[in-house]
Amino acid sequence: MASQKRIAKELAECTSSPPPGITVFLPNDSDVHRWHAVLEGPEGTVYQGGRFGLVVTLPAEYPFKAPTVTFATRIYHPNVTNDSLGNICLGLLKPENWKPSTRLASVLEAVRGLLVEPLPEDPLEARIADEFRNDRREFDKNARGYVQRYAKGPVKFEGSGTAPAPAEAGDNKKGSSGSGSGNTGTSGS
Amino acid sequence: MSMSSSRMDAGLPAQPNLRVTIIAADGLYKRDVFRFPDPFAVATINGEQTKTTTVSKRTLNPYWNESFDFKVNEDSILAVQVFDQKKFKKKDQGFLGVINIRIGDVIELTPEADDQMLTRDLKKSTDNLVVHGKLIINLSTNLTVPTRMPPSSTLPSGNSRPSLLSPQPSALSNGDRASERPSSAMSGPNGTPAVGQTMNLPHRPASLVSTQSATSPTVNGSGHPHHPSSTLSPFEDALGRLPAGWERREDNLGRTYYVDHNTRTTSWNRPTGTGAAETRNAEATTQAERQRHQNRTLPEDRTGANSPTLLAQQAATQAASASTMLHTGTTAPGTGELPPGWEQRFTPEGRPYFVDHNTRTTTWVDPRRQQFIRMYGPQSSSNGTIQQQPVSQLGPLPSGWEMRLTNTARVYFVDHNTKTTTWDDPRLPSSLDQNVPQYKRDFRRKLIYFRSQPAMRILSGQCHIKVRRSHIFEDSFAEISRLSATDLKKRLMIKFDGEDGLDYGGLSREFFFLLSHEMFNPFYCLFEYSAHDNYTLQINPHSGINPEHLNYFKFIGRVVGLAIFHRRFLDAFFIGALYKMMLGKPVVLADMEGVDADFHRSLKWMLENDISGGILEQTFSTEDERFGVVTVEDLIPNGRNIEVTNENKKEYVDLMVKWRIEKRVAEQFAAFKSGFEELIPQDLINVFDERELELLIGGIAEIDVDDWKKHTDYRGYTESDEVIQFFWQTVRSWDGEQKSRLLQFTTGTSRIPVNGFKDLQGSDGPRRFTIEKAGEITNLPKAHTCFNRLDLPPYKTLEMLQQKLTIAVEETMGFGQE
Repeated sequence: MASQKRIAKELAECTSSPPPGITVFLPNDSDVHRWHAVLEGPEGTVYQGGRFGLVVTLPAEYPFKAPTVTFATRIYHPNVTNDSLGNICLGLLKPENWKPSTRLASVLEAVRGLLVEPLPEDPLEARIADEFRNDRREFDKNARGYVQRYAKGPVKFEGSGTAPAPAEAGDNKKGSSGSGSGNTGTSGS
Repeated sequence: MSMSSSRMDAGLPAQPNLRVTIIAADGLYKRDVFRFPDPFAVATINGEQTKTTTVSKRTLNPYWNESFDFKVNEDSILAVQVFDQKKFKKKDQGFLGVINIRIGDVIELTPEADDQMLTRDLKKSTDNLVVHGKLIINLSTNLTVPTRMPPSSTLPSGNSRPSLLSPQPSALSNGDRASERPSSAMSGPNGTPAVGQTMNLPHRPASLVSTQSATSPTVNGSGHPHHPSSTLSPFEDALGRLPAGWERREDNLGRTYYVDHNTRTTSWNRPTGTGAAETRNAEATTQAERQRHQNRTLPEDRTGANSPTLLAQQAATQAASASTMLHTGTTAPGTGELPPGWEQRFTPEGRPYFVDHNTRTTTWVDPRRQQFIRMYGPQSSSNGTIQQQPVSQLGPLPSGWEMRLTNTARVYFVDHNTKTTTWDDPRLPSSLDQNVPQYKRDFRRKLIYFRSQPAMRILSGQCHIKVRRSHIFEDSFAEISRLSATDLKKRLMIKFDGEDGLDYGGLSREFFFLLSHEMFNPFYCLFEYSAHDNYTLQINPHSGINPEHLNYFKFIGRVVGLAIFHRRFLDAFFIGALYKMMLGKPVVLADMEGVDADFHRSLKWMLENDISGGILEQTFSTEDERFGVVTVEDLIPNGRNIEVTNENKKEYVDLMVKWRIEKRVAEQFAAFKSGFEELIPQDLINVFDERELELLIGGIAEIDVDDWKKHTDYRGYTESDEVIQFFWQTVRSWDGEQKSRLLQFTTGTSRIPVNGFKDLQGSDGPRRFTIEKAGEITNLPKAHTCFNRLDLPPYKTLEMLQQKLTIAVEETMGFGQE
């Protein structure tokens, strides 16, 4: 298997030695092209204490084409669209920058890095980027408010991603039953 | 009709004891592109006691709900076959599937009323025609209630089963819907796609289709494979269906945008309903496109090289050529009758020329002429006897060769395969080459040569094609498939149903314009737009969703050949790789850029970087997703077990490019090509390169340099820089073909958006033409077609720029320039 083999291997890596603060699992064991991840808000940031759902979609041509990562949980951040789509602007994933040797673990770490250090000079939300640069106190307050409102309690994945809600959405903790392929992580904490 | 008619009737009861109600079928196979079947069902017991339902009109989901009583025992076999009434007299009887049931397996024939509802997949019969869908029947041993009659007759309401009568197809297919990925709803039990089934829509497909048929007869609302993971088809969104011709797409940031295939434009804004304004807008755009289409030309038309009335000044040269041709070959004066439709006339100077009324062209060359080639006696004779042999006996030139005259009218030969020239006729033993003219690509001369070949000569008689404007694809398919290649080479007479007018060119121009818009429309799933931009077309690898697709590709190949043969243009532009394939040239990595820029970038990265240590985890195989089913394809035998390494990655990339561009569409392309070659011989088309072929098919557009310049961006330069001024000065000095070639070099296609350069598209959305300061002045300019960008070194002089730009533009290594 071309991409299946690579994906299976990466999945095994991400579940056996997960990137710090990130838990990865498959919402649907039969579809390795769609991953869910839970990202703990990094300590010492305004996102601390929040738990953010990420949806990773691997194209059929992976790794020759970049995966897409979206926030399933609303987040107040200059580089994430402030809407239910949760699109991320991540240099690493831009088609012109994507390298087929890049691993998903690095992609997820880069997303986490974005929470530690937002990049207001390359924003998706210009207003939030302005606020981040010019009125940090207001930004921090808003970001924490979002964490309280959206990123507490069980992580929900429905309505996320670029595709409309798939059939399996609606349950927020599926996919934890270890199947024959093994190595399926536990969902959530 | 049935396979088991030899069974005995022994042991059957005297009275009917089983009532079979044929309720409905769901998701029948759509064997015709333009029509839905008129299905009816035939039930038999052991091949006897035949009962037939009424005919349900134009649907893939017929609902009959008709009951028949049979005499059965538990070993009786009930067969229910479904046929298309329209095709019942054909060989296959319009067979749409069969179910066979042994009665004892499904129902107890006890006196107590038993009642079984069965949903069975329709199966193939022995002739192996693909079938699809389910049949729903009810078996009952309770024969006391009156039988259900055809829908036309009224029934006491109490006798019907309301739960079955209400059309709820979702209930019929619940079993397989939940577990499968959305796109797999298109797959039938045999992995065959069901055209006409709509993905996950809570309506009966038939009703959907009927609402669409007003605009476009065979739109199925499904089957576009672009968004397999989405639960909504690209032709609808949460707000409902998009207007006809619109498609929803997402860019790489996941932002939704809309493609209007009617006008080939894109918009961030969702089109609203069926607003009259949009219709008017679309009409205006079509009109603008039509105008552009009609203004396209080819160089020989413009210069009128073979028309004496236009080119008096060339007469002298031509006259010279007629006489000096005797140096190498002889033109014997024609004798006998002129071919039908030809006439000899004289210029005011008294020079004879010939009028071909079939093609409405003129030529100096006598069609009866026999050209003689002087030939030194072959190896056998040492005495130097000169033999003469008529050229016509030598057969055609080899593939890719052209015969030309020097300005002193000496014959020489051009080999476009190697871009070399020779005095020697390649069909004869060779002698030494001396002072033969340098190779120079000359589209105009190639065209004149191409048109003058006997295979390209119009035949006498007329070829009548009558179509309805509203059904141009369907009607053209029927008409053109019916005609022989010989018929199609006769003078084309197009007639639009219900319209007056004789075809003196205008109608056939309109015909090809309209037909090219229809037959390449991605709605039919035969062609799709490339990932490169929203305009260039490529064969849809998943066109097999239409079971007749190969017939359509053959038809489309014929139409492309027909347009070239009759000197008309199609309003269609393909990816560069397709033109190369038509010329039999191998596709290379650079061609990938026009197909899928991201994929191209990754493959290129792989070649340029160290991939040791298995960092890519790739083997010589690839995955192909068709209708939601992923299969592994080996690129070489056992490829899935062979790792890609630094040592073999070049081979891997080559194979991958071939697979992505050629192998996935090999069947379709072969069909297309077979149709094309019926009108245009491969040997003749091969004189052109892939860029010229694009112009031959689509024509050369008038390019508005002011508009081009106005919508150009600069990086590292400003408009006032000297080299930029040289650039535009050069472009203005060029003729239409050279300008088109520059566009092909920089954007991958000679097509200009209908609204001009401001709407130029790149691989990631709108991209204006850009000139970037890059490269050493000793280097050639480079192009990045997916960004419509030209990397232009800061050349110091106009001559230097002209020289370098000309070389770069003439180069045809591939459409995608590195």
